[in-house]
Amino acid sequence: MLSAVELALAVPFVTAMVLAAAGRWLPRVVVDAVAMAAALTVIGLLGVVLWRAVRHGTVVVWLGGWGPHGGISNGIPLVADPFAAGLALVVAVLTVAALMFSWRYFTEVQAIFHVLMLMFLGAMCAFALTGDVFDAFVFFELMSTVAYVLTGYRAEEARTVHGALNFGVVNSIGAYLTLTGIALMYGRTGELGFAAIGERVRAAGEPDAGLLVAFTLLCTGFLVKAAAVPFHFWLADAHAVAPTPVCVLFSGIMVELGVYAVARAHWTILGGTADAVLAGFGAVTMLLGGVMCVLQPHIKRLLAYSTISHVGLLLTCVALMRADALTGAAFYLLGHAGVKSALFIGAGMLLNRFQTVDETELHGRARGMRVTSCLFLLGGLGLAGLPPGGMWLGKVLAERAAEPYGWWWFTVLGLLAAGLTGGAVLRVWLRVFHGAGAAPTRHPVEHEDAETAEPTPRKPLPMLVPGVLLLGGGLLTVVLPASAVAGGAEVFTTGYTEAVLYGEASVAPAGRPPSPWTFSGVASGLAGIVAALAVAALGVWGGRLPQPARLGTVLRGLHSGHVGDYIAWVLAGIALFAVLTVVTR
Amino acid sequence: MSKGVNGVRRLRLCLMAAGALGFAAVFTLAVLGLQPFGGDVHPYGDRAVRASLLRGTPNTVSSVNFDQRALDTLGEELILVASALAVVVLLRMVRREEEDEPGRHRYGPADVFEALRVTGYALLPVTVLVGVYVVAHGQLSPGGGFQGGVVLGTAVHVLYLTGDYRALDRIRPVPLFEGGEAVAAAAFVVLALAFAGLIIPMNAVVGVEVGCAFILVLAKFFEQALLVRETG
Repeated sequence: MLSAVELALAVPFVTAMVLAAAGRWLPRVVVDAVAMAAALTVIGLLGVVLWRAVRHGTVVVWLGGWGPHGGISNGIPLVADPFAAGLALVVAVLTVAALMFSWRYFTEVQAIFHVLMLMFLGAMCAFALTGDVFDAFVFFELMSTVAYVLTGYRAEEARTVHGALNFGVVNSIGAYLTLTGIALMYGRTGELGFAAIGERVRAAGEPDAGLLVAFTLLCTGFLVKAAAVPFHFWLADAHAVAPTPVCVLFSGIMVELGVYAVARAHWTILGGTADAVLAGFGAVTMLLGGVMCVLQPHIKRLLAYSTISHVGLLLTCVALMRADALTGAAFYLLGHAGVKSALFIGAGMLLNRFQTVDETELHGRARGMRVTSCLFLLGGLGLAGLPPGGMWLGKVLAERAAEPYGWWWFTVLGLLAAGLTGGAVLRVWLRVFHGAGAAPTRHPVEHEDAETAEPTPRKPLPMLVPGVLLLGGGLLTVVLPASAVAGGAEVFTTGYTEAVLYGEASVAPAGRPPSPWTFSGVASGLAGIVAALAVAALGVWGGRLPQPARLGTVLRGLHSGHVGDYIAWVLAGIALFAVLTVVTR
Repeated sequence: MSKGVNGVRRLRLCLMAAGALGFAAVFTLAVLGLQPFGGDVHPYGDRAVRASLLRGTPNTVSSVNFDQRALDTLGEELILVASALAVVVLLRMVRREEEDEPGRHRYGPADVFEALRVTGYALLPVTVLVGVYVVAHGQLSPGGGFQGGVVLGTAVHVLYLTGDYRALDRIRPVPLFEGGEAVAAAAFVVLALAFAGLIIPMNAVVGVEVGCAFILVLAKFFEQALLVRETG
């Protein structure tokens, strides 16, 4: 009998294959219902797993009965600690939302859209749950392959193919470097499991330079997926052309899984001591993502750059290498998944109604769309850190965790990220839904094809409902039991090896994290909102102020869309990352 | 304008060169500390041989692929499925394109020698037989589902070399192979998760899956190259 963890992988994959085989003959509604039922089943299964992991400690399943003897095994473990199971659960929830959004669309190619979505679900769950480095690479590749196809799904437009190709090339380069890192790691330790590699590294004493290089190469693919600067170039190109429900999964969880993998590798292999180099990359990512976000008139691109900024914050939280920072990161991730997904759904509503998501094109045209308008307003405030949203709570907890290191810049950059990204969204809200500011004088941009075969009705419920629910979830993340999340962070940082190799799963005793409802906590949230309002107001009415035009031109020039540039940056980035890591340790 | 483009290209090359140099330096550092080539330290290999003998599997590679690390193989299988689906999705007929009837053409290398044609027809059954052999003996000898599947998938394309595209089109109805690929992949998911170690059925299922996927992918490439035209 398969365990719930294994079933959570089997259900999406088998259902996907059944739909691939029979999709040609099944009526559309059956395809929709079967895919939805599979995703809901995965939610149920992962819910059970998460419950068990929180209550009784990490659930470890060695596939094929190849469990360890004396801490040594040749098999592959699935490791469902609260964080891994929780992330897989987020994947499943967002998949349900995406399937709901696309309930009546994507009719073109049999049931292949649904097949790909279910494979994407399974691949991301497997990536989150596996306890083996090489297996993580395999499912990294599977989720990437599926993601390339989903990005290029509307293949009739040249720019779609361009975006998907950039995504594919850059991510594949990252994957090869990760594979190289795995080979080097095996060459040095003779092991492939996260826990087993870590044991060998610790037994050998301080990690030497070669091992550190192997580690940085191992992380490269994950950093590319996490869109850390300078590996981030593919993300906006891909998000701009991918269908809306796919963007929900990309921004909501796929990118974050890259951060998760870096964190997992760091803790299990290097043992988790504060990593200033990683923090530096995270800081630059936060800032550049925020600035680029403000510079975009294309709403999907704008949201994509805001994701880069927020992922930078998550990366910096990981770099702190503290359980309490991870608690903050977890809340931040959950809040971000809800809010950003809702915003992408809002962008999708605009695209289907007006065949464009260009802010200047849409100026004042969406006055009648009340619910979508609310999504943008609350979404923008959520990104800026509206209490009691998950992004506020997470950021406050992370700021507290950064205090002992004296990383004051974390608070500053966090405020900037919140202000820039939230402000950009609020600017869109003012201009598109209220016609604020001067009417555009720019030439109309070329139109995009709608994602729907026929125009959507005025209030397309299946599209709006997931947006509203996700936004609500993102803003009410605070209701989650904080002590359980803190416990999950504790288990993530300690006790992984014992649980995986020796079957000694424990529930880490963790108290409630400090309450965020203090003066400084609430002030931090309000400061973000004030900053966002200022950025939005400047964007709408600040036309006469001197613009840092040169900076914008240079930054836009760097994001050229030329895949050769992107690869040069990846190579330079990995060299820098490796050299700094070796030198600073 | 061209001056600006050249400037950008030079910048890109400089960045690339700096990155490559740095990468070469750190990579050398990482390789220097490795076990010497041809040494006798193979921790995973030693354990894998012991483990496969423990379960009575004579072929250690098969034991690793289909038992000890069956989940990896599952992922790789699904990558192949996803790639085949990718070809179906991305090369589908879009606006501006139309497809000719295969029957109206006699595509392929048009003027083939009679000798080549006869050899091609004769080789078809032999190649299929070799494919089946490689799949069926995977648990004992080098080979198995992946390798045999590729042989099977290419076997039918011997017909294309004989210059007979219509015959090729007749013996590989695309929906059948789409279905076959998916059903085989579903069976492999169940086998890999619930019955890891059943090497012979797993090899057979992989053979079917890989063969179907190759036929499907090549069929789509043929369509794109031979039948689809832009209508402007």
